[in-house]
Amino acid sequence: MTVAAASRTSAWRVVEYHAVNARRYLTSVIVLSVLTPLVYLLALGVGLGTLVNRHGTGTLGAPYLAFVAPGLLAAAAMQTAATHAANLVMGGFKWIRVFYGMSATPLTSRQICDGTLGFIALRLVGDAALYLAIMSSFGAARRWEIVFAVPAAVGAAMAFAAPVAAIVASMQSERNLFNVLFRFVVTPMFLFSGTFYPVSRLPEWGRWLAAASPLWHGTELARAAALGGASSASVLGHVGYLLAWLAVGVPLARWRFRVRAYR
Amino acid sequence: MVAPEQEPAAAAPVLIAARGLTKRFGDLVAVAGIDFEVRRGEAFGFLGPNGAGKSSTMRMIGCVAPATSGELRILGLDPQRYGPRIRARLGVVPQQDTLDLELTVRENLYIYGRYFGLPREGLRAKVDELLRFAQLSDRANAKVEPLSGGMKRRLTIARSLVNDPEILLLDEPTTGLDPQARHVLWDRLYRLKQSGVTLVLTTHYMDEAEQLCDRLVVMDGGRIVAEGAPAALIAEHSTREVAELRFEPGGSAGAVERLAGVLSGAGERVEVLPDRVLLYVEDGEGAVVSALDAGLRPLSTLVRRSTLEDVFLRLTGRSLVD
Repeated sequence: MTVAAASRTSAWRVVEYHAVNARRYLTSVIVLSVLTPLVYLLALGVGLGTLVNRHGTGTLGAPYLAFVAPGLLAAAAMQTAATHAANLVMGGFKWIRVFYGMSATPLTSRQICDGTLGFIALRLVGDAALYLAIMSSFGAARRWEIVFAVPAAVGAAMAFAAPVAAIVASMQSERNLFNVLFRFVVTPMFLFSGTFYPVSRLPEWGRWLAAASPLWHGTELARAAALGGASSASVLGHVGYLLAWLAVGVPLARWRFRVRAYR
Repeated sequence: MVAPEQEPAAAAPVLIAARGLTKRFGDLVAVAGIDFEVRRGEAFGFLGPNGAGKSSTMRMIGCVAPATSGELRILGLDPQRYGPRIRARLGVVPQQDTLDLELTVRENLYIYGRYFGLPREGLRAKVDELLRFAQLSDRANAKVEPLSGGMKRRLTIARSLVNDPEILLLDEPTTGLDPQARHVLWDRLYRLKQSGVTLVLTTHYMDEAEQLCDRLVVMDGGRIVAEGAPAALIAEHSTREVAELRFEPGGSAGAVERLAGVLSGAGERVEVLPDRVLLYVEDGEGAVVSALDAGLRPLSTLVRRSTLEDVFLRLTGRSLVD
């Protein structure tokens, strides 16, 4: 019976749409997911790392490659998440309008939101796993606990992607939003969240900025997973901070999806 | 199998009922307290110009917009509480297509069925059936982007049928299509109606309303100004025939006075439009002869039957399509 079957819909159907849609770009997705870690690890870990290591890595606690690799993993996840949250939400409501097609079906605005965020998270898990594999081929994986760098990076990236989705869902057109978002938020966050150097090197205001950004907390967690030596109190603090962002960001995104689709 | 006897519409159950249905956007009143009922198996239309409140009404019926006030029941359920359950039993053809242009025709149908939670196996056969219905089987694996407007519209209609809906909502189904594509679409909709699907459509084309609707309401400025079967509305609000006299710009001045003598029967009247004069009469040919006898020299004349356009003009003083 179709009516009975119709009640079986869920946010997974939205994930399925995004997957079918992404299949068209499969080749470029894979190439990008492999090239990004390769280029960054080679340039920074190996290239810059040779220079850094020559001057001593006492403050880092590990050779530069092992130090920078988990940071790059978290930063890459965050950039992919921000790009996808912006493009998929603007595409869904404005460019392709596919979210309006969905909202005419039993799918709710909440399911459309959750499925879109869920697809991004799954995509990030795949990317991060690939990153991890390439890291270990460079010899940057020193212990098995490094696998926890994946949930750390994905969690931090989603903590940022959810409010991005909320903001984009509130915009009638992209105008300069994407430029502002990437030039003044995403890129500075990438540079000042302890990806390339410990934030203890920054002046105090810089340390506060880093502490506010979800990326720094994700980076610290990923690095703790990769290198060990973090206290459980600091781990709990980082996890708690990211969960707080998610606890605010996800309902915010659901609310903005509802306002946009149901008015 | 013997086709079941067609039930008289009045005896069929009410699927959609609205009482005092109102939609406001801030200070703008889009729908100003309308009442209507749609019964199972009917083809019901909202006829009116752009901005009359038709699309807002359709969005409330489609459970994608909350009513500001008034009561609305769809399939006996309250849309504000049971939106997903109602939408599971509706098919929606929105005014603006929401097809994914980058996906193929088949993928669009398939993924839409998945939104309804339909299982993969049954869905494949359903998609093939819909492709045949939409006459798009040979384009199944083509992307949607390069398809013609008529094909895209047929695909949208096919997509709306993936869940075997009990009610099909069509918002301006043929706007922007060429006459050939409109006729193909009307034929598909007529088949659906024959198969028992309840059709609810909005249109600003009076010929579309006459072709497809058993019953319709005429909307203007958020209100319902008339209701009935197309033929009954014409009989009630217009004359049997219309004589159109076309003049040079400004040439219709003084025509009304001269034509006063032409009108004879009750309900006969003159309507002056910028480019022509309409004579609402029982005998159109006779009226033209009388007008010429009265000394009028129109560039051309035309005698036709009254349409819903004339009903709208009579009720609102304006034409449907400007």
